[in-house]
Amino acid sequence: MSSFKDFQDSFQRGILERDDTILSDVKDSTTESRSVLIGVYRHAYVARLAEILGDDYEQVHAYLGDEGFARLVKAYIDANPSDKRNARWFGRHMPTFARETAPFSNHREVSEIAALEKALSDAFDGPNAEPLAIDQLAALAVDDWPQLTFQPHPTAIRLTFTTNAAAIWSALKDETAPPDLVRYPEPQALLVWRQDFMARFRPLDPEESMMWNETTKGVRFGILCEMVAMFGGEDDAEIRAATYLRDWIDSGLLAGYEVE
Amino acid sequence: MKTEKPPFLGFGLGLRPQHYEEILSGSPTVDWFEVLSENYMIAGGQPLHILDQICERYPIVMHGVSMSIASTAPLDMDYLRDLKTLAERVNPKWISDHLCWTGVHGVNLHDLLPIPYTEEALNHVVDRVSKVQDVLGRRLTLENVSSYVTFGQSEMSEWEFVSEVANRADCWLLFDVNNVYVSAFNHGFSTDDFLQGIPRDRVVQFHVAGHSHEDDHIVDTHDHPVCDEVWDFYREAVTHFGPVSTMIERDDNIPPLAEVVAELDHARKIAGEVAERAQLTAAE
Ligand SMILES: [Fe+2]
Repeated sequence: MSSFKDFQDSFQRGILERDDTILSDVKDSTTESRSVLIGVYRHAYVARLAEILGDDYEQVHAYLGDEGFARLVKAYIDANPSDKRNARWFGRHMPTFARETAPFSNHREVSEIAALEKALSDAFDGPNAEPLAIDQLAALAVDDWPQLTFQPHPTAIRLTFTTNAAAIWSALKDETAPPDLVRYPEPQALLVWRQDFMARFRPLDPEESMMWNETTKGVRFGILCEMVAMFGGEDDAEIRAATYLRDWIDSGLLAGYEVE
Repeated sequence: MKTEKPPFLGFGLGLRPQHYEEILSGSPTVDWFEVLSENYMIAGGQPLHILDQICERYPIVMHGVSMSIASTAPLDMDYLRDLKTLAERVNPKWISDHLCWTGVHGVNLHDLLPIPYTEEALNHVVDRVSKVQDVLGRRLTLENVSSYVTFGQSEMSEWEFVSEVANRADCWLLFDVNNVYVSAFNHGFSTDDFLQGIPRDRVVQFHVAGHSHEDDHIVDTHDHPVCDEVWDFYREAVTHFGPVSTMIERDDNIPPLAEVVAELDHARKIAGEVAERAQLTAAE
């Protein structure tokens, strides 16, 4: 007779590796054989994880179709036994997995649609923070402005895509036919964040993307303006920088500021 | 440690996101809600915001699926800390999880896995429950799970095992009527033997749920309305245990709120009839 610890070890291998050692501990029922009964657990394990991934990656599923998604899911489950208590985090490796695993790796949009879905989920239940309001900046002296640094909202994340995965996601989400795949000559950025309890995203043009990236590193506003001037031209550089900033504040993308 | 027996809460439902809006706008006649702990062990956003509002209006109990109380792996202190943090927010009437294990060696199989009913397993579980109760600063409530296998090494019945855990670890029990029905069917024991074998004063909650028949066994899928046989057994359970906080548990194929509320009313009706009969018998 095996100890309780050995029993659990063998039961788990029976599920994960389909090892049959556990069968010697299991009794046949009056109506079913022991292998059918252990099969209930084997089946339930895969089915539950597949259901979790299906909920997490609805548009990857829609894009690949049932068969393609089932293949992705099976490969993912085999490669990533869950190491978290909360099923919420089971699918978190999907963007990386799809990017690195053939045949999905030959279709970058699959990984990128997954990355967008993951980012939206993460934004949806990510940390709370009161968004920075424009009024909070009203009292600042003109001299303070070049010294300002900003904290991004904790849910905000910038993704860079090599395909029009975001447009594909949007079409699938609306249950319409996705556009033809476009591979970008240069990667394009988008921002994902939460505003008023809703997870949102929007594309960033290269200049705004650069300024956002520098802002999140804590670069002061005065320097940001100089960077924008270098990036897109001197004319109106400060106005462009201020416009981006104003839009971020209106969108709830910032959570605070400091005068350095 | 909080040790007094939790109050009878009446008739409750499992809180499901599909019903958030209707609950907050309609104030349905539900006495209390059970929330799935893991769904709210997250950083922020709408789910916790809604949970806070529901906690203001209804008594809440917390129900987890991944404590893995019977696992031989080390206790997951991060999980217990997060659970305790959520409990501080929710102020639940009690915290429950399942009398089962969910994985070893750092893996979580996200399933409620069966235990061989041995003295060794019993000692292990009793010890774990005591430790968890110390960490949480309150008694734990444990639910009997449905199982599909029995093990050659088992030395006692499931109800003996469950009762011993409750008595020796001094914890409460969540009696899942459907799970007993499913396991009795699959293993060929009598639901009445199970019922009679459970100490009355330990049971603080009932789960009532639906299941699906597959060939020669039943799977506890929680995706169907409650069937007549389970309702009959619920009547017997109420007769045996007296008034116990009762909840309809639906995890899949979630119907409109009104439909589950109707099932809950049916439970209320059965419990009312049982109480009436008991009064009549007492008066005779
Ligand atoms: Fe249950």
